[in-house]
Amino acid sequence: MPAKQHTLEADGIQVQFDNQNVLSGVYLRVQTGQVVALLGANGSGKSTLLQTVFGARVVPDASVRVDGYPVMPAYRQPGLMSYLPQTGLWPSGMALATAARLLGVSLVEALADFPTLQKQAVEGSTRAELSGGTGRLIQTLVLMARRSRFLLLDEPFSGVMPVHIEQLSSRLRAARVHSGILLTDHRYQPVLDVADVVYLLRHGRLQLLTEPRAELRDLGYLPD
Amino acid sequence: MLFYLKVLRVYYRSVLSLTLPISALVLAAPLLMGTPLPSPLFLAVVQKMASFPALIYLIGQFRPQQYWLYRNLHLAPWQLWAGVIVLDTLLLSVAHRLLAFLVAL
Repeated sequence: MPAKQHTLEADGIQVQFDNQNVLSGVYLRVQTGQVVALLGANGSGKSTLLQTVFGARVVPDASVRVDGYPVMPAYRQPGLMSYLPQTGLWPSGMALATAARLLGVSLVEALADFPTLQKQAVEGSTRAELSGGTGRLIQTLVLMARRSRFLLLDEPFSGVMPVHIEQLSSRLRAARVHSGILLTDHRYQPVLDVADVVYLLRHGRLQLLTEPRAELRDLGYLPD
Repeated sequence: MLFYLKVLRVYYRSVLSLTLPISALVLAAPLLMGTPLPSPLFLAVVQKMASFPALIYLIGQFRPQQYWLYRNLHLAPWQLWAGVIVLDTLLLSVAHRLLAFLVAL
């Protein structure tokens, strides 16, 4: 029997920095079973939007709903949402196993498809002892192993080796079974390969792309 | 509740390097000035009122990323700081008792 589908919606999000509209009149929709990509230039407000949906940023008129019910701040609802920030998810000096345990995940199980990572992430090792890309990948895999209903990933591919990007993409596709995934990254190709729905954040507005690759090329976000 | 205490222990350890010197200063000040040691409650209130608002503000400004883990654990910053205030007051009370005992010797 297929899992019940859940819908995350966010709208009314208006954010200004230095009297400039960073986000205005945004409507975003993510369903479980989908990978939704959020693309845009540096400083276009992608991280701000993710943080607002997660509930970490208070925006007066914002509305975030799951299945029609308000869930603000969403992070307070156990099992509902996990968020990978651009910066480290946990302190760099904290043991990986400790962080994973706090998040309710077995590090060994989270890294099951990544034997090389398992060797690096031995008991007691910390993020500070790993390369930036490896640390990033481990954080992403730990969050994915939580199986939250919705997963917000801010630059999960950043610094990650190409071979691991392919494996991570496969994992993301598989995770759709139990989660709705909203992700943003500057590596457009792997994002487009894995995404079911693509939004472009431009001039503070969110645009749903029907032909993502062609439209991104036309707008100068992808090379010809 | 047990989970909250477990998480609080982790968070308190991360801010202990900031709160401990303040507690030491608050305890040492009466001794250095040659005045009797005030009650632990008075010291705790003075310490919290004088330093914690600035501490919470500065951490929010300069180390905002430290809250991401805890938000992923469904805890808001105010829930962490409420626990830190209670734990820190308990620690200050224990240190106060110890100091009062040593002064009386």
